[in-house]
Amino acid sequence: MMFKFWFSLFLFCFLSQTYAADPIAGETRYKKTCVNCHGPAGKGAASYPKISGNDIAYTTEKLETYRAGKKIGPNSGLMIMMAKSLTDEEISNLAAYLKDAKYNVND
Amino acid sequence: MKILSKIKLLALAAATSSVLMPVTIHAEHHASNKGMDVPRIGSMVVMSGLENPWDMAFTKDGSMFYTEKCKGLSVKTSSGAINPLYGMKDSKGYPAAGSDLFCSGQAGMLGVTLDPDFDNNRTLYLYSTSSKYHGSGCKTNFEKCDGNIVMKFKVSKDLTKVSGRTDIVKDIQYKPFESNQPFGGPGAHNGGRMAFGPDGYLYVGTGDRHRGICPQDNSLLCGVVLRIDGNGKGHPDNKVKGDSRIYTYGHRNVQGISFRPSDGQVFTAEHGPWHNDEITKLVSGGNGGWDPAEKIAGRGACPDQYCGYEPNQMEGMVPAVRAAYTPMSDTRFEDLMPPAWNNNGYSQGTGSAAFLKGSNWGIYEGRLATGIMGIGFGGTPGGMRIDIVDLTQDGMAVKSVIHMPVGVSKRFRGLEMGPDNALYAATDEGEIYKISAMK
Repeated sequence: MMFKFWFSLFLFCFLSQTYAADPIAGETRYKKTCVNCHGPAGKGAASYPKISGNDIAYTTEKLETYRAGKKIGPNSGLMIMMAKSLTDEEISNLAAYLKDAKYNVND
Repeated sequence: MKILSKIKLLALAAATSSVLMPVTIHAEHHASNKGMDVPRIGSMVVMSGLENPWDMAFTKDGSMFYTEKCKGLSVKTSSGAINPLYGMKDSKGYPAAGSDLFCSGQAGMLGVTLDPDFDNNRTLYLYSTSSKYHGSGCKTNFEKCDGNIVMKFKVSKDLTKVSGRTDIVKDIQYKPFESNQPFGGPGAHNGGRMAFGPDGYLYVGTGDRHRGICPQDNSLLCGVVLRIDGNGKGHPDNKVKGDSRIYTYGHRNVQGISFRPSDGQVFTAEHGPWHNDEITKLVSGGNGGWDPAEKIAGRGACPDQYCGYEPNQMEGMVPAVRAAYTPMSDTRFEDLMPPAWNNNGYSQGTGSAAFLKGSNWGIYEGRLATGIMGIGFGGTPGGMRIDIVDLTQDGMAVKSVIHMPVGVSKRFRGLEMGPDNALYAATDEGEIYKISAMK
């Protein structure tokens, strides 16, 4: 019984640590490449759409779809290329960051 | 010293506040060597919250016309009032609108410029995407599609309305449908910058609209620079064989046009494919050297008959390989205008250009400010900056390129000199900056 408790606690802590999205890391990753087209804080720029303010599940699903090489729009070629190297962790972090990202003119 | 420069900048901002209402101020202290005449450069936001501002045009007293790609034309007067003037289809809040004007992808309401004699004739020119002249074309991406126009208007003296729309160019080509390209949406490579030259003629930059044959086919207005009068008629000295309105051809997507103050020489700044951006001195009848057609120059068939991103267009690869396959400036053309500057194998979205005017710019006076947006594919560093390019007198090379210390990193879409000798910059993020230089 005690063993089960500690094992469950360990599993919980381990999984939490493994899958807890980090929006700060997401912001860092976003600024590495994504910002060049989608603009600061995912606000959208030129013909590149706004990608902030969406549910985490939505952004995650889109990035995973691009990473899998599936076309879902006219600029899919670009996104497939950009998403190809993303890890699960990066996708989680990006989705967490973009959910609440707010544009500041001074960014 | 830095504090002092900020104080001076704030003083300047305060002095001009009756004209422009600053929202935020950034200041950058560049160098401090009086002997080298290096100016201090600072920037402040004069408008924000705009939707894709694309171009500006100034009256002598500092009123600023500006376009928003999917909304329309407005003016910020020298007293600070903002007057919407001419909207696009479904735009709200404009006193007049064109039901034929629309936006899609890179296309929409783009360039705006004023007649050199604007004070007397009140004439303004506007570039936009339009459905009015599609006619029987535009059914596919592989046929003529007259989808961009240049309009002429009269502006009321109180700057509250425009009237008398006359379409002086009706057949600049437009890409109507998505294609199998990395940037494959409709409206791609749509050009749109306009400027009057010292010869009194209007120069209009167009794009190749993802049609392979466009830049080298001079029966079509795509991938060319027009030189026309105020009624849309070609300059008598245009030397290109084909459409008499074409000044130069063989371009990819001309979004930057500026005339060197010292001699009136025109230069373009051009957004290249994945392996280059270019600044080029234009000569009448010259060929920019861009030819993305398939089955020519050693190339086979290309996706949707457009080789502009080939080979292997959906994968990152060494830029030099692409440059060899579809060069931005193909040396097989005898009438090639070689670029004065290229981007060292990068394409970062060179999209606008303006020669710096005024002694306040110190050693930078007469150099070309170039707006770089940002792409960042395949290991290319993002752009998001303004370069100051020192061109040689013969316009065939550059002496130096430095990054302007603007203090912000944005997608700089449109650059224009104001009558106050400040540089104004429109960003894709939705601002218009005033960038000042002081000795």
